[in-house]
Amino acid sequence: MDKYFEMIRIRFLMMLAYRTNYYTGILIYCINIGAYYFLWSAIYNGKSAIQGMSIEQMTTYVAVSWMARAFYFNNIDREIAMEIKEGKVAVELIRPYSYLGMKTMQGLGEGVFRLFFLSFPGLIITSLLFPLHFSSDIRTWGYFALSIMLSFVINSQLNLLAGVVTFFTLNNEGLLRAKRFVIDLFSGLILPISFYPHWAQEVMKYFPFQAISYIPSMIFTESFRGQAVINGLLFQLVWSIILLFPLQLLWKVAKKRLVVQGG
Amino acid sequence: MFYVSVFFQYMAQYMKTKLQYRADLFVEFLSDLMFQSVNLIFILVVFGHTTLLHGWARDEMIFIYGFFLVPFALFGAFFNIWDFNERYIVRGEMDRVLTRPVHSLFQIILERMELESLVGGVTGMIIMGYASARLHLEFHWYDFFLFLLFALGGMLVYAGVFISLATISFWSDARSSIMPMMYNISNYGRYPIDIYNRVIRYILTWILPFAFVGVYPSAYFLGKKEWYGYAFLTPVIGLVFFMIAVMLWNKGVKRYRGAGN
Amino acid sequence: MYAIEVEKLRKEFKVYSSRSGLVGAFRDLFTRNYKMIRAVDDISFTVKQGEMVGYIGENGAGKSTTIKMLTGILTPTAGKVVVNGMNPHKEREAFVQTIGVVFGQRSQLWWDIAVQESFRLLKKVYRVSDKEYKEHMEHVIETLDIGPLLDKPVRKLSLGQRMRCELAAALIHNPPLLFLDEPTIGLDVLVKLKIRQFLKEINEKYNTTILLTTHDIADIEALCERVIMLDEGKIIYDGSLQRLKENWGEGKQVQFTFATEVTEEELCALTYDIKATWRKEETNSWVAHVAPMHVSDVISRIVARYDIQDINIDEMSTEEIIRNIYEEGVVHG
Repeated sequence: MDKYFEMIRIRFLMMLAYRTNYYTGILIYCINIGAYYFLWSAIYNGKSAIQGMSIEQMTTYVAVSWMARAFYFNNIDREIAMEIKEGKVAVELIRPYSYLGMKTMQGLGEGVFRLFFLSFPGLIITSLLFPLHFSSDIRTWGYFALSIMLSFVINSQLNLLAGVVTFFTLNNEGLLRAKRFVIDLFSGLILPISFYPHWAQEVMKYFPFQAISYIPSMIFTESFRGQAVINGLLFQLVWSIILLFPLQLLWKVAKKRLVVQGG
Repeated sequence: MFYVSVFFQYMAQYMKTKLQYRADLFVEFLSDLMFQSVNLIFILVVFGHTTLLHGWARDEMIFIYGFFLVPFALFGAFFNIWDFNERYIVRGEMDRVLTRPVHSLFQIILERMELESLVGGVTGMIIMGYASARLHLEFHWYDFFLFLLFALGGMLVYAGVFISLATISFWSDARSSIMPMMYNISNYGRYPIDIYNRVIRYILTWILPFAFVGVYPSAYFLGKKEWYGYAFLTPVIGLVFFMIAVMLWNKGVKRYRGAGN
Repeated sequence: MYAIEVEKLRKEFKVYSSRSGLVGAFRDLFTRNYKMIRAVDDISFTVKQGEMVGYIGENGAGKSTTIKMLTGILTPTAGKVVVNGMNPHKEREAFVQTIGVVFGQRSQLWWDIAVQESFRLLKKVYRVSDKEYKEHMEHVIETLDIGPLLDKPVRKLSLGQRMRCELAAALIHNPPLLFLDEPTIGLDVLVKLKIRQFLKEINEKYNTTILLTTHDIADIEALCERVIMLDEGKIIYDGSLQRLKENWGEGKQVQFTFATEVTEEELCALTYDIKATWRKEETNSWVAHVAPMHVSDVISRIVARYDIQDINIDEMSTEEIIRNIYEEGVVHG
């Protein structure tokens, strides 16, 4: 376990080196949230609620989904694809740790860093600029914390899957881009899932994407209450378990290929 | 003239390179289309819940977005300088550029050409076509030339802002994500300017004039007379910002400190 | 009229240092330490048209920085640079038309396209007419033996093949002045020989001035009559290679292979009055460094005292001379 903590620490140090990124990073997030705030204000235009969400909840939804994104987002899919293309994975496999585990830990290191240096200060700044709604119920915060952990797990699993596919296709730029597109659209980052037409919502129930952004943000804004919270968390938990299977399977086959063909 | 002939020479080389990687080209086309559709889907879904946005109808919003895609595609095709710091400063490619007898900015623009981005412009025109058909817009013969002028103006606004940002690398070696940040700000220009408060409106008009890439020029074609003045300013603002950028660039090159060491 | 004229040229860099550890990294978030480094420290020299000059020094001595100022890439902090009668960074575009540059570790060619396509593009960029190109480049291509490589993409070439193409690319506009930064780095002996031969030819045929930096002293020996030696941004020697050798390499080396083991004390005791210095090479192999007039003396004394299997007499190599100079840090004479 020590070595994984060391990996988190190293990532932490690396992130610190990109100092200006954090000043500008907060600004970027504030600007994004600002753009959506004005846009949503225009959309609401005096309406008290759309799809059961007030303008205040909507603004909070936008703010918290961007801040949560800072935590779960990482580029390990691209890193893995790059390392496979450059033949570095073979070297990684000699090392005494699980390659995928190490990549996930790197992502976690980055995520935790951004959580403290980007998301928290960013959220404080945006709450000064825009009318946000924070829950006073400690349980909401607890559920939210649990929920973004699961977001991280599911997003990382999808990233690992997309990365490992490179073993079989060699150039999977297309897949990586398609994945980003699907996650942008269907994770609930730019639009709450409940805003989509009914048929689209039905379809999305069978995919893991809304577990990444929609569920934690709905929990945070208290748009989900009671049983809906539990159902959301269960949805996340089930998907994080289901995704383990294809990941393990692909990785096994990939390793075999690597041994046979020498990368 | 010399610069024009060099331009075509680079273009020819570019085509040859790209044709070697046809599969990649296809993937790029497709994914560009996907990302362009995200914003369209956003507009469509939102207008499922409302009919007017500060007096702007759904199809007007779609028209603005379609127009925006044209200067943005031109910018993406010819001013692909996102990775200027990484590629030219950190990896020292700037050394090579500076030993050639052509203006350094011009060389970099040519080397980084991404003509496949122009497909975005075609998408934009299709979207505009769809929106204008639904809005029953009427065009005059000279509107085509105004369209070209406005699109080029919008491209120069983008180019001016992003080249100015790229020149920061000449002064500071720290990496920063100021480029993506500006990209985010540029998205503001795609929506009707009057939904924002006065400060942001002022910034988007005079300081980071991204409103001239989308909403102002589109207002002319949509027949929104109250914005005509701004619409015709588009090429002027574009030229001014581009000239400022070239000046900054020339100053910056003198400060260039080379890679390594 | 000099090809290169440099007077009190100086270049300073701001160098940031990062603090160690997590706490240090946090402090770096807010303020960073830096100091000014003088990479090139008030150097002056001139180069005549048609000269071939070796510019040598250890890593970080300021070689590359000087070359970059001479080629207009970097702006000097202070001092005067006139190259081909122009101020490199002020009149950059007109100036670079008159020089050719090869960076050994950086490619001038386009990675993905065939070599001749790169040539064609550069021909356009340097405004070379078809006639000039044909006259001049046909010869270059033939001498460098790159004809068969022209239709291959650069990424498929070996380092040696690529380097020859780079050299040809730098000569497309037949510049009167050629800068070569480590042109032979990582190349095998045959390619090195070919490149040296070619440079000599160019120099003779067009009276091209060549300034080259290298770590391979053999390049300098083969090409340059004059060397400029740099240490910590200052010129420590500027003159002919011959004079450098005479002043520093006047001694000879005599290598003995003994039949039995000997010690340094014994050898030194035997030759202390003629000031021979001894260096052990292998178990029973020792090298004596002595003034030329004492060579026979050393041999006779050693042969009389020990059982000898083999004797070799060598001149000191330039490489050794230069190593000695850097170890002692000053050049006399």
